[in-house]
Amino acid sequence: MAGVHLEGIVKAYGAVQVVHGIDLEVQEKEFVVLVGPSGCGKSTTLRMVAGLEEITAGDVTIDGRRVNRIAPKDRDVAMVFQNYALYPHLNVADNMAFGLRIRRMPKAEIKTTIAEVAQILGLTEYLDRRPADLSGGQRQRVAMGRAIVRHPKVFLFDEPLSNLDAKLRTQMRAEIKRLHNRLGVTSIYVTHDQVEAMTLADRIVVMNDGRIEQVGTPMELFNNPVNTFVAGFLGSPPMNQVRGVLTETGAKVGNSEIKLDAKVNGHVGREVIVGIRPEHVSLRAGDHTSPFPVALDLVEPLGSEALLHARFGDETVVFKTETGGDIAQFSGVDHVHVPASLVKIFDAETGQAMSFGA
Amino acid sequence: MVDHTSSAAVNEPGREVAQDGHWIRIVDHFKREWQIYVMLLPMILWFVVFLYKPMYGLQVAFKDYSIFRGVAGSPWIGFEHFETLLYSDQFARALKNTFMISMLSLCFGFPVPIILALMFNEITNQLFKRTSQTIVYLPHFISTVIIAGIVITAFSPSAGIVNQFLQWLGIEPIYFLIKPEWFRPIFIGSGIWQEAGFSSIVFLAAIAGVNPSLYESAVIDGASRWQMMWKITLPSILPTIIIMLIIRIGNLLEVGFELIILLYQPATYETADVINTFIYRQGIQGAQYDLAAAAGLFNAVVAFVLVMTANTISRRLSNTSLW
Amino acid sequence: MANMNLYSRGDKMFVRLNMLLIAIFTISTLYPFIYIAAVSLSEGSAASAGTVFWRPIGLTLAAYDYVLAEPLFWSSYRNTFIYTFGGTFVSMLIIVPGAYALSKPQLFGRRYFNLFVAFTMWFNAGLIPFFLNMRDLNLMDSYFGLIIAFACNAFNIILLRNFFESIPQSFEEAARMDGANEFQVLWKVYMPLSKPALATIILFCMVARWNGFFWAMVLLKDEQKIPLQVYLRQVIATLADDEEFGLSIIDATYSVETVTAAIMVCSIIPVMIFYPFIQKYFNKGIMLGGVKE
Repeated sequence: MAGVHLEGIVKAYGAVQVVHGIDLEVQEKEFVVLVGPSGCGKSTTLRMVAGLEEITAGDVTIDGRRVNRIAPKDRDVAMVFQNYALYPHLNVADNMAFGLRIRRMPKAEIKTTIAEVAQILGLTEYLDRRPADLSGGQRQRVAMGRAIVRHPKVFLFDEPLSNLDAKLRTQMRAEIKRLHNRLGVTSIYVTHDQVEAMTLADRIVVMNDGRIEQVGTPMELFNNPVNTFVAGFLGSPPMNQVRGVLTETGAKVGNSEIKLDAKVNGHVGREVIVGIRPEHVSLRAGDHTSPFPVALDLVEPLGSEALLHARFGDETVVFKTETGGDIAQFSGVDHVHVPASLVKIFDAETGQAMSFGA
Repeated sequence: MVDHTSSAAVNEPGREVAQDGHWIRIVDHFKREWQIYVMLLPMILWFVVFLYKPMYGLQVAFKDYSIFRGVAGSPWIGFEHFETLLYSDQFARALKNTFMISMLSLCFGFPVPIILALMFNEITNQLFKRTSQTIVYLPHFISTVIIAGIVITAFSPSAGIVNQFLQWLGIEPIYFLIKPEWFRPIFIGSGIWQEAGFSSIVFLAAIAGVNPSLYESAVIDGASRWQMMWKITLPSILPTIIIMLIIRIGNLLEVGFELIILLYQPATYETADVINTFIYRQGIQGAQYDLAAAAGLFNAVVAFVLVMTANTISRRLSNTSLW
Repeated sequence: MANMNLYSRGDKMFVRLNMLLIAIFTISTLYPFIYIAAVSLSEGSAASAGTVFWRPIGLTLAAYDYVLAEPLFWSSYRNTFIYTFGGTFVSMLIIVPGAYALSKPQLFGRRYFNLFVAFTMWFNAGLIPFFLNMRDLNLMDSYFGLIIAFACNAFNIILLRNFFESIPQSFEEAARMDGANEFQVLWKVYMPLSKPALATIILFCMVARWNGFFWAMVLLKDEQKIPLQVYLRQVIATLADDEEFGLSIIDATYSVETVTAAIMVCSIIPVMIFYPFIQKYFNKGIMLGGVKE
């Protein structure tokens, strides 16, 4: 088991640079998720760790060894692909044994290894089936089994759940988490799904446009996004971001003022973006809340909760609130209450989070 | 004032990063990927030895070739062989025959597979369809020599089935294979017999790709089978037809000369002798290599221009190049 | 749509007429084969007199007895097998790795290598330079020469390369991560995944080898090395010459016609035996190439 260290990783295709210098330290046994919109360079970064893409500049170190110029097979990593890449002409057992046979592991040992891993993954009764005769979830498990049997130092996952339907995805997500708890192998996981990132990761790396936006535990990122991108990316529905101007006591948004806990000394008059998480508002006034007038436009009941879509000026905002089993109560809503302590302020120009000395 | 909460990464653009040198990368590439070059090598060698070296050998077309001096050692004589060809009646005849035969094959041979595909598509009895398809594809896999053998046997003046039939109709037997006027119909007919069925596969595949809902809505609109064939199937496969036609035109000079060699006789040279048979007789049988190579070069250049033109046209028309 | 009751009267007429025309075309395709088979089984005198139409007249195996007693028939038959299987094997040995290499994006100068191969589809030197080249290489009159000289063609290579390119890159990547080298990736992953394309190319190679006669005729002087098609051509040439002079060797049991027909039948039989197996592949294969020729 070992950590993975990325230092100043750059990837360029000819003159086009797609990854602009990534620094990342993945600790031993850690589960790190790279998340970001498509084209943000997360897969490319993963593939450079795997050795499937040449590293234009920078260093990748696995277990203290620089692997830039080492072939994928000698890096002691295993990868689960988005489309699983199961060999259709081989059955489950042979698919899992493929790498072991190539590495000339003794037959008897292969057999026991496969049996063991199949046991863990619940694939024992499917060992002689072909991939075409398996369900999506089973194929996914075989793909993981193929990685596990090799006992690599690092697992790499490239969007492994994106080909599954929503229900299976949730189920497999939990299974991957359990597996990681059990095996404790250092893992790097790429996804564009923030829910996957939040639920799986020890630490999340949010990437955008070939750069890292923020690294931290899921709750760190959720509670203290460093910029509007991270704020908008994590959380479902995403954080509402409305334009405003700082005042002595808070932020003026439209004709109303949202109070802030912090003092904004010296920044009065500055244009900012006010970030309000949908689930942080309430319909009743409380201590340190400010009323926020909105024009209700649509109510989406989810069961115990409901999404209130509202218009604020020419911007659309979404709030999430408990229903208590009744949505008729929302029909008269014309404002919500925003708690001062949970409002985030971002610089309107740079999008960076602002924090104010208390 | 602005504080990066938690461990945000710092990415200054344009900072110094460790980068391997250009040469290390190239050496590295070959060290890592040498195997694909090993795989490529035999094929490249083969192309050099068997296809590109003869292109170098084409220079005999401009030389007074002697076996003893070899390709490189023979003296240059410029365009003398081309001039000879230009004034040669035989070459002019071969050129004319090549175009005549291929144009006629195109006119008569090209529509048959399309019609056949349209007809196969209308058959609803699957067993009948499969059986007849199996049979009409078969001649494609039969060698030219056997095709020639069948033609010679069938058209023989005494024992041939064709003349027996003519006699039964009360017509005098005809010795077809020594009559110049019969050579082209026989040659083109046997070409259609051999290839029409197999060529229909391409069109059948195009038909299979037609959206079935087009037919369903036509049925609801009360169209007859005949109308659907004309109004839906045929327009739908028109792009395929055009592409295939362009390919045929590109390969206009490619007459099946192997069959001609097997079927023609001095008596029918007048209508049967094409460029490649001319080259075969002059060069390989008559050992006039340089002259024959000149004829071959002429042929190759014209063919190259035709193919390139066809490819350009098809790229314009279909936005897809043929290769 | 298969329910005839749904058709109007005009449609029924159309369908029946269509079936009739197809039947006629099919029968006229099949008839020459029946005719040749009937001639080969007839008595020589009947064949020479032209009384054979669709069934043997005076059923006899005399022509086959004559053919099978001919040593040249056997040696040429054996040679055809050598050229067909040896040639196809050598072709695959060169084409498969070559096409694989051409399909790899990491191949340095890939565009130029592809152009290098494709160019030969548009321009070739022609018969004479090829012939002189074979002579210079000392490959005339040899098994090896005939096998190697026709091992590749650009069309088959491009067909296979396109198929390899259509295989998702992740298969190769997964195999590489598993520790496979390029040869193992090709042998254990790409080749099993490319069975339809390989079957098609093997089919094309074998058919071309089995039927090829021109270059065998030109390059081989030694009768012991000629394939069946060249032998058959010699026999047919005698048939044609005899016709020209208006005489045929008339024998009670066999004649030139029946003997020729018997050799043709012997040459077609292996094709007929393989035909059902290859048939399921060539539909697919034609589509793989997009277009043939």
